[in-house]
Formats: sequence, C-alpha cells, structure tokens
Amino acid sequence: MAGVWILAENREQTLELLNIGRDLASKMGTKLAAFLWQGRELAEEYISHGADEVMLLPSLPEDQPLDAYIPVIAEEAQKEDPDIFLVSATMRGKEMAACIATRLNTGLCSDCIALNLNDESKTLEMERLAFGGAAVQKVTCSTRPVMATIPLRMFEPAEKQDGRKGEIKDLPAPPPSSVKVLERKPKEREAKDITEASVVVCVGRGIEKEEDMALARELADVLGGEIGCTRPISEEMHWLPEELCIGLSGVHVKPECYIGLGVSGQVQHVTGIRDAKVICAINKDENAPIFDAADYGVTGDLYDVVPKLIEEFKKATTS
Amino acid sequence: MPNIVTCFKWVIDEAYIRAGSSGELDFRSVNYKISDYDRNAIEEAVCLREEYGGSVTGVTVGTPQATKGLKDALSRGPDKAYFIKDGSFESLEPSQTAGILADVIGSKIEYDLIVCGEGSSDLYAQQVGPRLAERLRIPCISFVQKLTIEGNQITAERRLEHGIEVTAAPMPVLVTVLPDINTPRIPGVKDTLMASKKEIINITKDDLTQIYEEHLQTTSMLAASMERNCVKFGADPADITGFVEALLKEGVIR
Repeated sequence: MAGVWILAENREQTLELLNIGRDLASKMGTKLAAFLWQGRELAEEYISHGADEVMLLPSLPEDQPLDAYIPVIAEEAQKEDPDIFLVSATMRGKEMAACIATRLNTGLCSDCIALNLNDESKTLEMERLAFGGAAVQKVTCSTRPVMATIPLRMFEPAEKQDGRKGEIKDLPAPPPSSVKVLERKPKEREAKDITEASVVVCVGRGIEKEEDMALARELADVLGGEIGCTRPISEEMHWLPEELCIGLSGVHVKPECYIGLGVSGQVQHVTGIRDAKVICAINKDENAPIFDAADYGVTGDLYDVVPKLIEEFKKATTS
Repeated sequence: MPNIVTCFKWVIDEAYIRAGSSGELDFRSVNYKISDYDRNAIEEAVCLREEYGGSVTGVTVGTPQATKGLKDALSRGPDKAYFIKDGSFESLEPSQTAGILADVIGSKIEYDLIVCGEGSSDLYAQQVGPRLAERLRIPCISFVQKLTIEGNQITAERRLEHGIEVTAAPMPVLVTVLPDINTPRIPGVKDTLMASKKEIINITKDDLTQIYEEHLQTTSMLAASMERNCVKFGADPADITGFVEALLKEGVIR
C-alpha cells in the first residue's frame, strides 16, 4: 500500500509532521498516514489537517512506557511497506525510531534538519549535523522505508482544509513491555521556557563566581529575556539546572537575540544557537571561537562591559 | 553481582576540524579521543561495579587506529576490553556498529547490564544504544540520569523533555546515560600503567557471523557554514554605544 507515515508524541508535533508529510505524499502521489494514541477524538482533526489515514493505537496501561508500542508499529510497517516514515525527534521519539528501524532492517537519519525529494530520482535527500555541528552530512537511504527523525518546530503546523476525508484504522494492543514505569514527575516550571524566550543571555565559563550570575540575570531582566548556560556551568558548577544548558545535547534556542557572556563558543554550544536571529558575544579573549559565530562581538572584560550595557540598554529601552 | 558491558567509540576530536577554502573538512591536524558521552558510560559502569561488585567489560568497534583508544578506555576502570577491528570499520553507520556489537556481545560476553552513552560525539545519531538492545532482544532505557540495581532489577530515572520518568526492568537491560549522570574521572599515571596490563581480546571481521551492509549513503560531508556579520567592538564607551545601537537597528531589542 506504501505511503508516507508519521509518528509524534503529541498533537502539536503531529501537526508539524502532517505539514511536511502532506507535501511529500502529494509529490509522490501516495497517501499520508499518522499514528495516534492520545484519543480517537484527535483522528478527525488529523484528517482535516492532511492525513488520509489515522492508525489508532489503544491507550496503554498507566505503568507502560511508550516503547511498548514498538512491536505493533513495526509489524504494521512490515505489512504495509511505507515509503517514508518520519518520527518527531523528541527523546522518546528518537529511541522508538531507532528500535523500529532496526526491526525493519533500514537506515535512519537522526535529527534531520532539511529534506528534499529529488524530482528526477524520487529519492529523499536528507541533511543532518555531524562533528558537534561543525559539519553538514547529506544522506540518502537505499532500503525501505526511508526513516528520519525531525526536530521540533522545523515545520509550521499543517493548516486545516475543509472537506477532507480519511479513514481510521484500529491497531491491536501491544504485548506488555518488561519495562515498567514506576513514577512520572512532570517538570516544575521554574522560569519561562528558554526555548520560547525572545532574548537569551547565556552564561559561560567566563563568569567567575556563582554570585556573579546576578549580573547575567540583571541583563536578561532589562531586555525581558531569560538566562541559559553552557555545559560546564550546569554540569560541573551546578549554578543552573540542566534544562537551561544550551547546545547539541542540551536545549536548542531560537531567540531574536542571543548574548553570550564569557562563552568561548565550542561547536556543540554554537549548534544550539544556530537558529538565533542575532548572536552577540562578550569575551575578553579576542580569539575566542564565539566571535566567528557572532553577528556582534565585544572584546572586553564582561565584568566591565556588562554593567555598562545594562545602563545603555536601560536608557535605550525606556526612551 | 552484575556483569556490566560498556561500549565506547574512538572518534575524531571535532575541535581540531578546520574548514577548507571550498567548504570541505580539513582533518589534517586532528586528534582522536574517546567520545565524550562514552566517558560517562564507562564511568557509570565502573561506579556501579564499585557499589555492587561484578565486572566491567569495554567493547569497541573500529579501525586498527583505535588501538590507542583501548588503553585510554581501560585506564578509566574497565577490567578488560574487546576490540572488534578491521580496516574497513572506518565510517560505519549506526546500524552497522550496532549489528557488529550485538554479534560479538551476544555470542562471546556474559552480560546483565549494557551501558552506552546517549550518542557519539562525531555522528551523534543516538541510535547505537537502542539498536543494540533491539538486536539482542533486551529492553532499552534511554536518557538515564540515575541508575540503581536491586537484586535482578534495574531502576533508572530517565530525564525527558517534560519531566522525569522512573522506570524499572529485570536484567539484562541496556541503558543509555546522559552526560550529567556523573563526572568522569581523569586517569592518573597509575591508572595508565594498570591499563597496559589489562586483557584486550581482539576480534576480527572473520569472527563475525555475517556482514553488516549499510543502509545510508553519505553523499556529502561539508563544513557547516554560519553566515554571521562578525562585527567586533571594543569596550570603550563609544564602542558600547555602537554595539547597543546595532542591536536596536536590528530590531531584536525592544
């Protein structure tokens, strides 16, 4: 039956994948199918936003992890032989995609940042970052299905179209997984979500003492922003929680303006800010690699520069 | 007492990669290292042995060039290591690495727990852990920030986007660990000396039960370009004003 398949953990991510999925399915003249386990009521919405079929999985018992669905999803894929299978690149999504790809004996492009269907060869050309973000790797896949995990917010949510029709297919319940979930602790929202902030002030190793974090916080407050940090600050110094660590293996931010204070600019960190509109850096080392990745840099001691900046920004934003 | 296996990869240190004039990657002055995330995996395996007893076996797949990596890994605490080497194991994709690891671990090593890093610092595809577990038909618990063993059961705290998931599973289990699960020790002179006395079991391509074909074709690998203005200011008052004005002009500060 073939087709383009998508799998995401929630409604928002599913709508994003429906957007790219619809585009690919139309170009290939095939159908678009989405997995769903968050409740049948969403099926009609997915259909109206581009799905031709919704594959409905029965909800799991409380103590079962999402991975429990893997055997059912893989079996369905073996039966139906999709052309393309896109999975949302959440942590669970990445793990599930790797397991499913193994069962289907196919390749998987992790954290695919661009994909293009070649008009002539009809192959899917995929791009991803390698070497901590220093390189862009372009890959194609020679086995079926072509699988990729897609980072969040890479695509806009699919628009609703009137009059769309689709089918709902019920899939069987999976066998119980030997992994049991004992407890789920939702994240306490301490600060505003750093991934949504319009200004991010980032603290690097150049900050000497924990109490000096106040300086970064004050700058962020003046600009209506949030603070984040590089890996040593959260992992070694524990001055900020891991959720505020920006980089390849931490959070990716897309602010209007990023300001790095004493950030050296290791490639893994820079990868986490590559989608910022404007990147600024303050560092006393004029050879710090961050300056190559910055739109505007200030070479100077941050303890001298930041208080002056706070004054200037106060004047500029209140006038 | 658990038999623990930890997998590691000897990788190019990305800090030494330069971009050539036409965007190609210049590897001429690179150094190699144990993948950063795998240092956490090795450390966690060794810490678990210190707490619960048992043994730690390191396993790696690579070219003969990775020989240095074995000593490095063993100086971090494992009792012995398996080195699956072949000149062709140069740029394996995750499915191949996982297939080869599973081939050897499944047939030659007794294990209760396998500890992997969450990804490798070169490709960072984050697939080898879960793929290896699938191949061995054991459960995978990924992105773990805390691990405990009680009897035959592993309890693992996963830190995911929206919170913590505490999970448990009977061994054998594979876990992938987050970088903040521990701080890897820095091997001292004594550790390095001890490492050279430890056993390394060499496995060749001929010892594998099958050939692991690639699924992915890398059509290009070029330096990532970031088109940025790279305007620099000093720290004197005129420059500070200039910097602030530049941001106002960009319209990113309100």
